[in-house]
Amino acid sequence: MDISQVLFYALSAMALGSAIMVVISRNPVHSVLWLIITFFAISGHYILMNAQFLGIVNLIVYAGAIMVLFLFVIMLMNLNAETEPQKNKWLKLAGVVAGGCLLLVLVAALKQAEVKGKVAMLETGDIGLIRNLGKALFTDFVVPFEISSILFLSAMVGAVVIGKK
Amino acid sequence: MNAIVISAVLGVVMMFCGVFTNSKPAVRFVAIIGLLGLLIANVLDMGGYHFFNVNVNGMLAFDIFGLLFNTIAFAATWIYFLLSGRDMERVGVNLAEYFALIFFVLCGIAIVSAFNSLLMLFLGIEIISIPLYILTGSDKRNLKSNEAALKYFLMGAFSTGIMLMGITLLYGAKGSFNMEVIRSGTTTLTPMLAAGLLLLLFAMSFKVSAVPFHFWTPDAYDGAPTVFTSFMATIVKVAGFIAFIRLFEGCFGEVHKQWQLLAAIITAATLFIGNITAVFQQSVKRMLSYSSIAQAGFMLFALVAMNETAKEGLIFYAAAYSLATIGIFAVLLKMKDYTFEGFNGLAKRQPVLAATNTIFLLSLAGIPATAGFWAKFYMLSAAINNGNVMWLVIVGVLCAAVSVYYYFRVIQAMYFKDGEPQEIETSRGFKGLLIVIAAVVVLLGIFPHWLINQLYSFFYL
Repeated sequence: MDISQVLFYALSAMALGSAIMVVISRNPVHSVLWLIITFFAISGHYILMNAQFLGIVNLIVYAGAIMVLFLFVIMLMNLNAETEPQKNKWLKLAGVVAGGCLLLVLVAALKQAEVKGKVAMLETGDIGLIRNLGKALFTDFVVPFEISSILFLSAMVGAVVIGKK
Repeated sequence: MNAIVISAVLGVVMMFCGVFTNSKPAVRFVAIIGLLGLLIANVLDMGGYHFFNVNVNGMLAFDIFGLLFNTIAFAATWIYFLLSGRDMERVGVNLAEYFALIFFVLCGIAIVSAFNSLLMLFLGIEIISIPLYILTGSDKRNLKSNEAALKYFLMGAFSTGIMLMGITLLYGAKGSFNMEVIRSGTTTLTPMLAAGLLLLLFAMSFKVSAVPFHFWTPDAYDGAPTVFTSFMATIVKVAGFIAFIRLFEGCFGEVHKQWQLLAAIITAATLFIGNITAVFQQSVKRMLSYSSIAQAGFMLFALVAMNETAKEGLIFYAAAYSLATIGIFAVLLKMKDYTFEGFNGLAKRQPVLAATNTIFLLSLAGIPATAGFWAKFYMLSAAINNGNVMWLVIVGVLCAAVSVYYYFRVIQAMYFKDGEPQEIETSRGFKGLLIVIAAVVVLLGIFPHWLINQLYSFFYL
């Protein structure tokens, strides 16, 4: 077991564990903090796959900007364990059963998936380097790249329409 | 490409309109003229005049099916602007922005009618959805509108997540977003492809509000300002179907037999639940949102049958359904009371409104000599041609019979009940336009072959 495998398992355990904690923490602020740890673990995975740019952007945008916004909103709304709405016990049970069924079916189906045994390229792949990413973005994927600007523009217009009194 | 670029530019133009003028008629005038230009540009695109020669790297494929649908969608939106543009002023102060958002939606529609890569599908669906969330919540002082917008947004974001998961699994199985690559060599469904297909099927069913993914529809359509419900329930919904059929024909056309039964079950459930629930509604607006679910069931026939008749039929259905529903909503917008009782005795006070509304309702119910009859006819005949789903045809006919009940309740209220309906002043131009639309609906019902022949001449050029 070399160092990258050790790192892979450690990061995976961290990502899964903190993701579960996001869901089961009773305090919303704790949930957000656990979510930040999840993002860090996933960024670690990106870097393991030699996708440094994606890893850093994930940290800056998600763990940095968006999570701070989340924290602000939650603190302003002053949510805590007491104000959490009481959910019906049967509803919770139904949710667990439905989610469990989906998990079971997906795991059972994808157990025999065609990619089993093929591992992602570690250390050697270079598609995630900024130079290659930029080239792909401005040659093969230039049309979706430009069209996504319409998406952002419409979202901005919408934010102003909704936000203005 | 003409439609995509010009509609995006028109969206920006409308935003600047809001900066430079406060005059509402001027803004509306620019929007109507701009949309007419967009329509003409798209027709020229069909005729081979491409204004923009962009190397799209196989991301988009402009075929006649998509361009034809664009033409119908733009024409329907143009009629919608003419009929209901004035009513948008009553929603809020940001009139220019509403028009801008509608132009962005049209840009999304032009993308989903031409995508050839799952990446573009995702972008197109999002460009359609995000402006719609905002239009749903544009009546900011109305609590119901806020609730509807939030519900629509959360449900829509969730279904987009499911769709992305499906796209990811397909990418994992085939190593490409390109539909031709995904299609080639797909003779059986391997586990990963099947999981991707299912997730995409669910996500697209969400977007077109097929049962059992329809729960957001009545609340979102009922809560949204009526003038935007009209747009959401017609043009946008039909665009969802174009994307749906394009995706499934493009990616999984070869393995159609393996998922046909599943699609047929969703269709039957949509027809059944949509029609039965519509019967119990007290508000015409809510009845129309359930009726849009029921009509979605008929459009799903195209997905189940998946042959040439189905594709032509879907275009015809798009035209017939959009025209009739836009007309009904335009009349509904003039009413102060949206319940069935609100329509009592309308025929005496407003004979033109009542008569045209009757024609639109008859068309939706699928009564012969209206466009709606032939739309349903082509859908059913496509399913019969397919041969594997005869039971679905029977379900469809039975549900169409059920639908007659709730459409006729409105007609009965207008003609055979006494009451003092409260309506808003209507102009002469508005009535004239309603008569023109009703005439088109009837003409399409008497001479459907005219439009179908036009379709043939396009399909087999």
